[in-house]
Amino acid sequence: MTQLHDTLVEFVQVLRTADVKVSPAETLDAMEALDIIGIENRVLLKNSLSMVLSKNPEEKEAFNTSFDRFFSFNKFSPESDAAEPDEHNHQDDGEFDPESEAPNQQSGQGGQGGGEGTGGGAEASEELDFEQLEAQSELGKLLLSGDRMEVMIKMAEAGRQVEVNQIVVFTQKGLYTRKIMEAMGLKGLQDEVGELQEEGGRPQLYLAGQLKGARDHLREQVRDYVEKQFFLHADESGKQLREELLKKVKLSNLEKRNFKDVQEIVFKMAKKLVSIHSKRRKTFKRGQLDIRKTLRSNMQYDGMLFDLKWKSQKVDRPKVMCICDVSGSVSNYSRFLLMFLYSLAEILPKVRSFAFSSDLGEVTRLFQQSKLEDAMAKTMRDYGNGSTDYGQMLADFKSHILKDVDSKTTVIILGDARNNYGDPKSEILREVYDKAQRVIWLNPEPKSSWTVGDAEMKKYAPCCHQTEVCNSLVHLERVVGNLLRVAV
Amino acid sequence: MAIKNDDKLNDIEAIQGHFESLGYICSVEIATAVYLAYHLEKPVLIEGPPGVGKTELAKTTADMLDLPCIRLQCYEGLDESKAIYEWKYGKQLLYTQVLKETLGEILEGATGLSESVDKLHSFGDVFFSKEFLEPRPLLKALEAEEGCVLLIDEVDKSDHEFESLLLEMLSDYQLSIPEIGTVKAIPGKKPLVFLTSNNTREISDALKRRCLHLYIPFPNADLERQIVRARVPDIPPKLNQQLVAFIQELREMDLKKVPAISETIDWARTLILLHSESLNPELVRQTLNVILKFQEDVETVQSELQGVTNRAIKAT
Repeated sequence: MTQLHDTLVEFVQVLRTADVKVSPAETLDAMEALDIIGIENRVLLKNSLSMVLSKNPEEKEAFNTSFDRFFSFNKFSPESDAAEPDEHNHQDDGEFDPESEAPNQQSGQGGQGGGEGTGGGAEASEELDFEQLEAQSELGKLLLSGDRMEVMIKMAEAGRQVEVNQIVVFTQKGLYTRKIMEAMGLKGLQDEVGELQEEGGRPQLYLAGQLKGARDHLREQVRDYVEKQFFLHADESGKQLREELLKKVKLSNLEKRNFKDVQEIVFKMAKKLVSIHSKRRKTFKRGQLDIRKTLRSNMQYDGMLFDLKWKSQKVDRPKVMCICDVSGSVSNYSRFLLMFLYSLAEILPKVRSFAFSSDLGEVTRLFQQSKLEDAMAKTMRDYGNGSTDYGQMLADFKSHILKDVDSKTTVIILGDARNNYGDPKSEILREVYDKAQRVIWLNPEPKSSWTVGDAEMKKYAPCCHQTEVCNSLVHLERVVGNLLRVAV
Repeated sequence: MAIKNDDKLNDIEAIQGHFESLGYICSVEIATAVYLAYHLEKPVLIEGPPGVGKTELAKTTADMLDLPCIRLQCYEGLDESKAIYEWKYGKQLLYTQVLKETLGEILEGATGLSESVDKLHSFGDVFFSKEFLEPRPLLKALEAEEGCVLLIDEVDKSDHEFESLLLEMLSDYQLSIPEIGTVKAIPGKKPLVFLTSNNTREISDALKRRCLHLYIPFPNADLERQIVRARVPDIPPKLNQQLVAFIQELREMDLKKVPAISETIDWARTLILLHSESLNPELVRQTLNVILKFQEDVETVQSELQGVTNRAIKAT
């Protein structure tokens, strides 16, 4: 049973790399289910595990492919034998058991068992008229016994031992094949073959030949096994590795071909934030009477009901205004900030976004109505050229939008504050600062260069509640997360 | 667990058979879910498009086991006072009145404040006790003496808070009432819990983790024919075949709301009422509003009606 459970744990690991979230508690449930239904009925097993382990349609799909891939390796031994000349074994799996048991019963005749295992030896066994030798090394004995199941189990065990599920790149296949062979006792086998060859008698040479054949056959099987493991584990974990990297890389260094991946990551991150923050509520002084609370709190007044309690609750959503510099150097950051904010539409319904390089323009509707890529391209076309002028931007903001800013509004400005030595007009930002709930300045440049050259961060920073370096997805996530946390 | 008629849950084929005799045709997955739910003592979260028989599964299970089916319909704003328990406020107030009048007797012989308070403490506190408790569905399900089937319908319509309230019930089959303590299910009579969801929002992971997850998709043609036959026994086989072929093709089309099994059954009943033996375009046109619930869907289908009907007729 523990063997089964170990296999199950491995399977759960595979599921996790395939993006099915499985908690330890669910693993335990799966074990319990396994104990109840057994493993004889494959369809039943699949259905049951699917119910316990995968909890939405996408996960179910991932589960199905993983299940088929993972448990296919149980059939693998007879299958790979099908390539052998041995006709009887591969006709169907049912015949396979009695046949492989037969040589075990004739315990003296290791030769015939070996014939089963290595294939080519079947005819040879008939000409055997000399005394049979038995393999001495453990692996040799196992291989010549012809018990495929046992070999399989041994292989899986060895695989576990050398942690074949850590395989990451394709080129490691050879390495892991050798490691598994060694873990299974290859050395003992080699030594035995060497000894037998040195002794040089006919029976010895015959046995050596058999062992060699069995070894080569085993190597093939192991290679096959490793390959399957690679497809199970590495494919996905390679993806995870890439995702982790992409999260940390500077956004301006991202190449176009990575955008799709990044977008996926952004959606994932956004979804996480949504699920964390969508529950925020606060009690409100209106709506249905909460009798229970009212009675409770009025008990102290001798049951006179005058301190009324209400049931209604109101979800408080932050109002966000986002001003993005879309001039060449910063446009990439703006792209991802906007991507992030619009992925959060569920909990941030009131995002207004503006783009500028010198003149400020509202792009809210553009982003709501068209696809991100198109909206971004249009924004760049309309606002992206011209030299950066933060002063002009703030003046525009004041004349058109400042009236909409209230004490619940968070204003996010994303830009490098490089003003080409123009008038920064930081007094306008001061006005915004006084009116808004919060002003956050996100700067993609490292802090050390905030005051170098034409950068005006020094003047702007005092008019912001918060200034942050923001140049990777991780930063973005943190900023947006904070925004949601404090916004209530 | 040892609830009534639990021998009917001994193997999966038997469950399927019993369901069938009650007019509920189900796939192996569904029967497996019921089987596991009982033997693992786990609630089942059923998801799937509307009208595939999610709620029906719970009701049929209750029928099969001859147990009461306690239903809790979820909606926005559902809270513990409607789902778990409520105090009988009126009676509680009356009780305090009575208490006030008999205060003299209780405190008789006590001198000074501390002694009175001591006496008051030694007097049993009934204000928050089971006598004044009004059980709601969840508590009722725990206290059901024979065991029961608890159906928490459309759990996705409730609020996040309510989901959290359910967690204790679902994982440990117990409920905590702050004033009284923990109420546990009668050992061996734990309720069989079904939750249904239409996926209008994502159910939290915490809830999902505690449940078996069953996804019921639209049935394939074969299963759907069986279902129609079971539900509308007098349907001519030919009509049944045509009707199911028609519906199956509709599901492939780009519609706002595709017809579900319940609509197939309604349609079958309608056609029987109209004494029709087989489909024809005119008949379909007249009865289309039984299976399609949006005008724009009706219009979409009407333009292709001839072709679809002919294909359905040919299929037999």
